[in-house]
Amino acid sequence: MDLPAGVRNFSYAKDMAIFRTKTHWAMLLLLFVVLFTLPLYLGNHWLNVANFVGITIIAVTGLNILTGYCGQLSIGHAGFIAVGAYTSAVLTNRFELPFLVGLICAGLLAGFVGMLFGIPSVRVKGFYLAISTIAAQIIIIWVINHWTNITGGFNGIAVPEPVIAGITFDTQGEFFYLIVAITILVIFFAKNLARTRPGRAFIAIRDNDLAAEVMGINLFRYKLLAFFIGCFLAGIAGSLMAHLMGFLSAENFHITDSILYIGMLIIGGMGTTVGPIFGVIFIKLLDKGISFLSPTLEGAFNLPAGFTTGIGPMVFGLVIILFLIIEPRGLAHRWQLFKASYRLWPFSY
Amino acid sequence: MNCIKLSKATGLACLALMLISIPLLGAGCGSDSEDTVDKVKVGFSICYTGVAAEKGRPMGNAKLDCIKYINEELGGVAGYEIEVIWRDNEYDAAKATTIINELIDAGCLMFTTNSSAMMTASAETANREDFPGFAVFSAPALTNPPQHIYAQMPDYGDDWAAFANYYLENIWQGEGEPKMALHLLNNSTGAGAKAAADLLADDLGIDLVTVEEHDASTISEIDSLTRIMALDPDVLYISSTPQPTSIILKDAVDLGLYPGVTVGLGHASITDELVELAGADVVEGVYGVYPTVNWGDDVPAMDKMTEYCQQYHPEDYGNMDYITSWAEGLIVAEILRLAIENVGIENLTPQAVEEHGFKALNNFNVGGLHGPVTYTAGDNRLSKSVRVFQISGGEIMPITGWIDAPQIPYVFD
Repeated sequence: MDLPAGVRNFSYAKDMAIFRTKTHWAMLLLLFVVLFTLPLYLGNHWLNVANFVGITIIAVTGLNILTGYCGQLSIGHAGFIAVGAYTSAVLTNRFELPFLVGLICAGLLAGFVGMLFGIPSVRVKGFYLAISTIAAQIIIIWVINHWTNITGGFNGIAVPEPVIAGITFDTQGEFFYLIVAITILVIFFAKNLARTRPGRAFIAIRDNDLAAEVMGINLFRYKLLAFFIGCFLAGIAGSLMAHLMGFLSAENFHITDSILYIGMLIIGGMGTTVGPIFGVIFIKLLDKGISFLSPTLEGAFNLPAGFTTGIGPMVFGLVIILFLIIEPRGLAHRWQLFKASYRLWPFSY
Repeated sequence: MNCIKLSKATGLACLALMLISIPLLGAGCGSDSEDTVDKVKVGFSICYTGVAAEKGRPMGNAKLDCIKYINEELGGVAGYEIEVIWRDNEYDAAKATTIINELIDAGCLMFTTNSSAMMTASAETANREDFPGFAVFSAPALTNPPQHIYAQMPDYGDDWAAFANYYLENIWQGEGEPKMALHLLNNSTGAGAKAAADLLADDLGIDLVTVEEHDASTISEIDSLTRIMALDPDVLYISSTPQPTSIILKDAVDLGLYPGVTVGLGHASITDELVELAGADVVEGVYGVYPTVNWGDDVPAMDKMTEYCQQYHPEDYGNMDYITSWAEGLIVAEILRLAIENVGIENLTPQAVEEHGFKALNNFNVGGLHGPVTYTAGDNRLSKSVRVFQISGGEIMPITGWIDAPQIPYVFD
């Protein structure tokens, strides 16, 4: 791995460490200070945005393991998030189980449902697998809408506030700490997973599944494992989303969200740990900025109500197209270039 | 090469500028703006774009036009200008949740949504924060049990009950129980009608033969209508929005199901937009329940509403959704006026607005645009009357006077 000029590793452990220099640790500490003090200077609205960013990072990190590392395209991720969300909602509402039980079960059930729909991946790939994951999304949402006595159907289901060790998370600020803590754990897990045997197996399958099988990698086992891990994280994200929103209906899990998650992954950079973080932050902030655009323009130029509402979606689409033309390898690649340049500074070229 | 580098750098600089500008834009529109005592803030979550834009656009235009009229011609409410913070929720539940938090943070005193679906997404946050609001089009689950969310007009369940009663008393000529098929949008719009039908059909003497569902973006309902045809229903009731309703009606005509059966529509379906999308010949004779007067009716608010509509949004003239949301603007102003008069501007909080504004509404006539608005303890529907309309020659014509919509005893989780 690249290091700043003059820095060397003298042990394997040091070579494998994620944070290896004092600058790394200082930056990490600074990041934590900024993150954990955010609730002090952000209002509910921006904390809510940050909470959704955190939840989406968890979900997209799961998709990154499945699609970015293992190469299994999934366009049903919102469906797997829905499984987690409803599992947690039903367990904590109908059965009055603790939040943590709901959270873990949400991940596990979403993981198992993901494995179920991942079985076709043994025989099909690419667009064909994408179709089977779209089917997953449709089937899951249909079941949610029609299993009325459990899920509440179209009327939805209320979700209680999470309680851990007697502490109730009932404000955006309290949710923020919960979500940030889980997001950090998930990112750390994803970073390390890529360096383990299963992680390397995923990458081998992605790059050439035939060669991977010849090398002795059990395709069935590792593809299903990727589906389980990816959907487990989707389930965790779903559980957090359910408790944050306090109310669920199947409309929260639209297929366009599944497509947008793929978009976030592409924009962030597939097959990298930081890709989902960059992609989610970019898309969410862009979306948020766009929502201000129309009211601001109408206010500034005294235009008739609704005159500029079409501009938002157009700008959103345009920025994404521009981005893909300028930086098709994602923000993670741009970040790599920046770091490489920084390491050689002031002699970068 | 240099040119490529230059264009890349320019592109990246533009992207960076856009991201950097977001907090600045936010500062201009959000909570950091300086509060002034000569203004009262309200929030509108509007589905200007997305799959329900055919309703959201005229409704958004109407409520913003109405507030403009109140501010510019009436001098605001009780001498205070109404400052609107509006956001396009794109008919996206997650966006609606974020928007409600933004409106609370921005110091809004109350909020409104057009649709029951977007209010469903916003309601839990609003209820947790004691932040009052109302939905123009509402589903029974939003106001049962009553908390901090109100319905401007009778809900989709009330529509079904009103139409069922009208059908039994005025249209049904056969023996025994009429057979009714429901075709419902797969969200709270459809669920509201189904909740009422499940609860009341047996008592009224209606045989519910089937319930079919459709999506807001449906492009064909031939299959579901073929299944309905096989059951030989006497009446088809649709609770949806104009776009899917137009598809259902066109397919019903193609299959020969209509004319033949009686077709009734809930209030989210029957608008001028429906006539335009489906064609006047397709919708000829279709019944519908709607809670407002029609364009051109002789009521006090009609002239000013028509003037503003024709000046700023002539494309919405004739659209009844514009009427509902003009009325929404008038109700918002009345709630604020009552609250200011009862507690004073300095004590105005969302809770005060609910207690002394929403709950003080008593027989407010909304310029005659729809039934009078009154708060009744235990019933968060503000207006409680509807009318039955029939489409004739491309015009949506009222065929009854105001019909009371009594509260239906729903039980939801």
